[in-house]
Amino acid sequence: MSEIQERVAKRWKVPKGYIYVLEEFCKGCGFCVEFCPKKVLAQASQFNDKGYHPPEVVEPEACVLCGFCERICPDFAVWIERSEEEAQGEGP
Amino acid sequence: MSTRRVSPILSGVHFMNGDEAIAEGAIAAGCRFFAAYPITPQSEIAERLSWRLPRVGGMFIQMEDEIAAITAILGASWAGMKAMTATSGPGFSLMMENLGLAVMTETPCVIVDVQRGAPSTGLPTLVAQGEMMQARWGSHGHYEIVALCPASPQEAFDLTVKAFALSERFRVPVLIMTDEVVGHMYERVEIPSAVPEAARRKPKVPPEEFLPYKPDPDLVPPMACAGEGYRVHVTGLTHDERGYPDMSPEAHDRLVRRLVDKVRLFPHEYTFFEEVQLEDAEIAVVSYGISARVSLGGIELARKAGIRAGLFRLITAWPFPDEAVFRVAQRVKGIVVVELNLGQMSREVERAVRGRVPVHGVFHAGGRIHTPEEVFQGIEEVHRQCR
Repeated sequence: MSEIQERVAKRWKVPKGYIYVLEEFCKGCGFCVEFCPKKVLAQASQFNDKGYHPPEVVEPEACVLCGFCERICPDFAVWIERSEEEAQGEGP
Repeated sequence: MSTRRVSPILSGVHFMNGDEAIAEGAIAAGCRFFAAYPITPQSEIAERLSWRLPRVGGMFIQMEDEIAAITAILGASWAGMKAMTATSGPGFSLMMENLGLAVMTETPCVIVDVQRGAPSTGLPTLVAQGEMMQARWGSHGHYEIVALCPASPQEAFDLTVKAFALSERFRVPVLIMTDEVVGHMYERVEIPSAVPEAARRKPKVPPEEFLPYKPDPDLVPPMACAGEGYRVHVTGLTHDERGYPDMSPEAHDRLVRRLVDKVRLFPHEYTFFEEVQLEDAEIAVVSYGISARVSLGGIELARKAGIRAGLFRLITAWPFPDEAVFRVAQRVKGIVVVELNLGQMSREVERAVRGRVPVHGVFHAGGRIHTPEEVFQGIEEVHRQCR
């Protein structure tokens, strides 16, 4: 299998689900950090392969899973996933 | 923080449209590279894959046009990926040159055409089935490829999976010739937790003995991709088994014959069709895609009026199932072809029935689907003719 298919995303548990970051897709624009209303994300001190600082979760407990980070990311590098229990509790 | 391999297949029951089903079918089949240029009514495929692919370790790239899109997927395929592109009429025309390159270089890939009203910009948001002949003859030179026609979102998913399997099996581009209505129609789509893997045929000899275009007994050569230690040679020129240019007429005839025969000799592997109420039918309706679904309504009206009609639905449009259509012609008194153009597949049907029964076309240039009444009138017309 090729290198691309081996790539995996980083995952953080937050109260309502998960936040994923695919670091190699990040170009360090900082939109997700800037737009997060709960200041869950911050730019990491380490670099990705391209030499940018990808976001990391620094305040997982504050996350309300609003999904702004996923919406705003121009490179599909950040996304959220609702946990099973949460998803079942929601309407159709 | 943890890492997790995300399960790529969106298994379960979903309510999605045909375009989305094609996107999910591609992911399920192992497609991890998609390059396209947005065009209505294909955009839902590109839109969905733009966020789905990165999450399953794949690549989405929006190219500058459709020429670049098909070229990108050919490159991706030679780099070892399963690759797909999707477009509609105008983009499909742009892809034609490199469709031929895919045939000549025997590159497995899948090309989706969500057909809309044409020629030219035509009716960007409305349905037609005007590229059926272009799918067969659009690129230059003689070739044989496979084209499949889904009639529902579920089938769009299933046929996309199948398209990848066929493209790897025969090393040909496989076309999914769907239409705007199937693409935008929302229905129940059941996605299994796993689909059979479409494995690429790999060389069985060590690199020093490898000839990139030396076919196996079934005329398909194993494919070594870039970076696997084998010599990779990709050329659109007429070539010999080594891949070197050979300008002799004999070499050209040998190569083109093999490219055609490797598909033509194995019809049982790609010939799919559906027969509905055809056992006792005196009139057969031959159709495909959304027109076939509408035809079912016309057949119902005919049965109510005392005309025994049945449906022969083409799932594989190309290579055309000559024999199956001829067998139908032997059983019925007349054939009605329903399609959203002014007569394309009907020519093939006429050829395949070899004059045994009258063939009547119910045509519409597109912009809307047929009404069941129009199909019924066609059935009545043929019924009158062959009484």
